Formats: sequence, C-alpha cells, structure tokens
Amino acid sequence: MSKRTHPEAREFALDTRFQKMVRREGGVSREAAVARAADEIEEVKPRYDEWLEGELQQFASLIRKAERGEAEAGWVETANFQTRALRDSATMLGFELLAFIANSLCEILDAVETGSECNMDSIVCHLDALMLARQRSYRHLKPDQVPDLTKGLRRVVKQVTI
Amino acid sequence: MANPKMNLRDLAILVADPSSYIAMLVHSMLRGFGANKVQDVRSSIGVLQVLTEQRIDLLICDMRLPPHGGLQLTRAIRGKRDNENRTVPILMMSADARENTIKQARDAGANMVIAKPISPASLYDRLSWIAFNPRKFIDTANYFGPDRRFKIEGYPGGVGRRKGDQEVAVAAESGPALAQDDIDNLFSAVRTGQD
Repeated sequence: MSKRTHPEAREFALDTRFQKMVRREGGVSREAAVARAADEIEEVKPRYDEWLEGELQQFASLIRKAERGEAEAGWVETANFQTRALRDSATMLGFELLAFIANSLCEILDAVETGSECNMDSIVCHLDALMLARQRSYRHLKPDQVPDLTKGLRRVVKQVTI
Repeated sequence: MANPKMNLRDLAILVADPSSYIAMLVHSMLRGFGANKVQDVRSSIGVLQVLTEQRIDLLICDMRLPPHGGLQLTRAIRGKRDNENRTVPILMMSADARENTIKQARDAGANMVIAKPISPASLYDRLSWIAFNPRKFIDTANYFGPDRRFKIEGYPGGVGRRKGDQEVAVAAESGPALAQDDIDNLFSAVRTGQD
C-alpha cells in the first residue's frame, strides 16, 4: 500500500468515505443539482431581510463607536468580516448594488488592515450607501443604474487606498 | 472538469462559516445537491468539537473562521494523529483569492479552495473535483495532507515540484486575486512524473 519516497516521507493512496459514497448509484447530475440548489436558495431568500437588517444595525453601531474612538482593538477586522458577509450574501442572491457597495467597502477595509491610514469619512459614506441600497426600492438595482453613487464611491476608494 | 453524477446522500457534511446566513446558503446548495446530513458551526472550536465527537465525511470551512482561522484549523486536523477525521476532505472557502493565500491553504493540507462568493455551479464543480480526482496522501515530519506535487498548466509563473515541472515561483508579497480557474490550476493539474 504505502511506499517510501524519502527517508522521512510516507506516501499512500486513500479512498475516503466521501469519495466512495459519492460514486454510488443514484447520484444527481450537475445540471439537476445546480437547478435544485437555485430553488433551495430561493426558499431561504425571504429570511434575508431580517438577517440584513440585523447585520447592518450591528455594523452601524460598530462604526459609530469607532468614530467616537470607543471601538475595541480589532474593530477593523470585525468590520471587514461583516462587510465580506454582506458582499458574499448579496452576490449569491443577485443583489448587485448591495454587493458593489460592500465590495467597495471591503477594498477600503482591506487597505486599512494592511497598513493604510483609516479614513472614517470614507467608511461612513459607504455605510450610508449600504443603508440606502438595503431599501426594497433600491435593492434590485444594478450599479450602472445609479452612476452618481457608484462613481462617487469609486473615487473615494481610489483616494483612500493609494 | 468532468462532472459525473454525485451522490451526497447520507454523507456527514460539516459547514463552518462565521456568518449564519452564508452558512444557510451553502447548506441550501448542498441540500439541492442531494445532501441530507449537513450540520453547521460558527467557529473553529465548534469544528474541533464536532470532529472529536463524530465522523465527518466532508468539511467546508471558511478561511477566516474565528478564532483560529481556517489555515490553523486545517493544520490542527491534519496533525491530530489519533483522530479518524485526520484525512477528511477539506474544502476551504475564501474571500481572499490572492495567490499567496491559496498556496497557504494548499500547504496547510486543504484539498481545494473555492472563492467566495460561491455559486451552486462552482460548489458542485469543486466537490466533484475532490470526489473524482483523488490524490495520494503525504506524511512527512512537517506536512500531512493531500499530495501537493503537481504540474501547473495555464497559470503563469506556476509551481512545480517534480522533474520536468516548472521552477517554483512563489510570490513573496500578496498579489492580485486569482480567478477560480487559476485556483483550480493550483490544485488540480495532473502529476507528470515520479520522483
């Protein structure tokens, strides 16, 4: 089974239970699996509103504390984590404007995490944009349908991440 | 990437993501693929607890899973000699798709990295790749995990570890994010020779 390839190295073939089980009869084709997954996602979409509202409130509270200088050390990492979750969920559900704004904010927070100066105004203006885009009347818009907003955010990102 | 049919029924799958909604979305996708035994946890401590108590067939884990992070968690799982889950396939989800980060995941012992945000098609393809492209395991003093030696095709400045492969060209600094195809190339290229 195993063979020596180096005095300290052991190499061995492994058929995991996952691999064995996946190969059983009765599997689902890619096409069917992807279509069913999309249907399953549709079913959990209604819970998005509640989750989004909670996440944005927590995020806003964190940013307000940071503005007052009362946030705990590591708040940028927390903010970045929350923003990534907002971006990823919005992308997965097809809410393009929310995803665009969150991604733009991720760029700023990534830069801060890697040593750029933290510009609170740039973060707050993204928070305001997120609050706007969460509204039902904006949520299904695409970034190019609100060019003033998206161009403005891009300018902000460019300025603070250089 | 070939995609034979996958049967996920009765497989114990653990989804570890700090965001409850992201975990719910991944859970939904897996349910759509036919999985019926999916659990989720929010922390690396939760993962280790589950792995101590029961056999898990597949771990889908976020790279930034608090408090340890996905890389440290993967090393801990691969390093635990007395645990039956030591060889569990690990699919790492990462919003950070820079080359250096992907290589760190590979070197920690992850089977594959999937870039966030995840789509049903990308998740299906990555699971299919893990299932139908098994790699040998390597056990050395400082690494335990799927064989990392492979030839890179299609990615400039690729990584080679065997005779005939390209020279190692690992970026010292963080670079631009990789597309999922490039991530796949970092994991998937066929081995081209023997030591």
